[in-house]
Amino acid sequence: MLKTAFLTFVVLCISIVGGGASVWYTLKANESVGAVTIGEWTAFPLMGTLDADPYSRARVAREGLLTLGRAEGLSFSAQRDSDGGALRRECSYRIEGPVPSARFWTLYAADPAGAVISAGTRRSGALHSYQVLRLADNSVSIAAGAHPAPGNWLALSGTGPMTLVLTFFDTPIASSTGASDVVLPSIVKVGCDA
Amino acid sequence: MLRLFYACLIGLVGAGIVHIAVLLLLPQFSERDAWSSLAEAGDFYKAVRIDAADGSPPIVKAAGPLFHASACRFDLTNGPVHLRAPGTVPFWSVSIYNRAGQNVYSFNDRATDRGALDFVVLTSDQMIEVRKAVPESFQKAIFVQVPIGEGIVLVRSFVPDPTWEEATSEFLARLACTEE
Repeated sequence: MLKTAFLTFVVLCISIVGGGASVWYTLKANESVGAVTIGEWTAFPLMGTLDADPYSRARVAREGLLTLGRAEGLSFSAQRDSDGGALRRECSYRIEGPVPSARFWTLYAADPAGAVISAGTRRSGALHSYQVLRLADNSVSIAAGAHPAPGNWLALSGTGPMTLVLTFFDTPIASSTGASDVVLPSIVKVGCDA
Repeated sequence: MLRLFYACLIGLVGAGIVHIAVLLLLPQFSERDAWSSLAEAGDFYKAVRIDAADGSPPIVKAAGPLFHASACRFDLTNGPVHLRAPGTVPFWSVSIYNRAGQNVYSFNDRATDRGALDFVVLTSDQMIEVRKAVPESFQKAIFVQVPIGEGIVLVRSFVPDPTWEEATSEFLARLACTEE
């Protein structure tokens, strides 16, 4: 009798804890169902639409998101550099390469909670395509780090992990299915403050 | 020992069932979703600024740092909803979401001539009624037919630099979300 009760208890514990924890983990992991990965960047084109999978729906509800529509744009995020190392606020990075056609795009760094990292000065914590300098072949080269850099500089501050968010507005890559053919800039680590 | 192994096996199957159940029920029971947050911030047909105007955390995560945004909740069973905002800003876009926060329709300023924001959200039944006699106030509006009852309409406006701050704030402050 006691043995049956114990076994029932074991079954219930594994079911409830295992089931709950697995949902929590999959919603927290960035590499989720429906992700499109291009180089270091990840996007969820179907997230927040009527065609979204149950994981995206649960994430939208849990985080209280209102995602960009197809006529508005598509947002990519990156948590690792080109060598696979996690992006950190105390390091300097160079973001360079071609960008897909869009009316404009914005780039900013966010902390794990999703808040924008600013330099703590009057300088904006985000860059956009109307203000960046371009190279002769129309590609961009942006320095991201705590130390001022010539050319395009995305100012960072503080320490800890970060996510870079690159959002394209009014762009054909959001409205067509061709998001996988797109080439995005690479994120190369330059160095870190000791 | 074998019975314990069986118990673990049944536990794993149970974990799978719980996983699916939690996943499918989560959107219905979430109290942190966009609808709930907006309901706290303002009533139906009231345009609410949702970005962090004074540096506080945004009500709804909807736009990046270079954007201002306003949202209003509506219920189409009361009749069509009419949105207007005068003024010129570098870029605006509109998204219509259903009760669950899923994007059902979106467009941007290039969808209109002269970039004026003036549109009516309605169901296809209401569209048939409106076609019989278009009201004076709808003459220049864009009609957006959506298959939803309750919903959220969100207007995002791009702020390229601080000099545009005032113009975009003014644009969103004058956003009128009216029940017709």
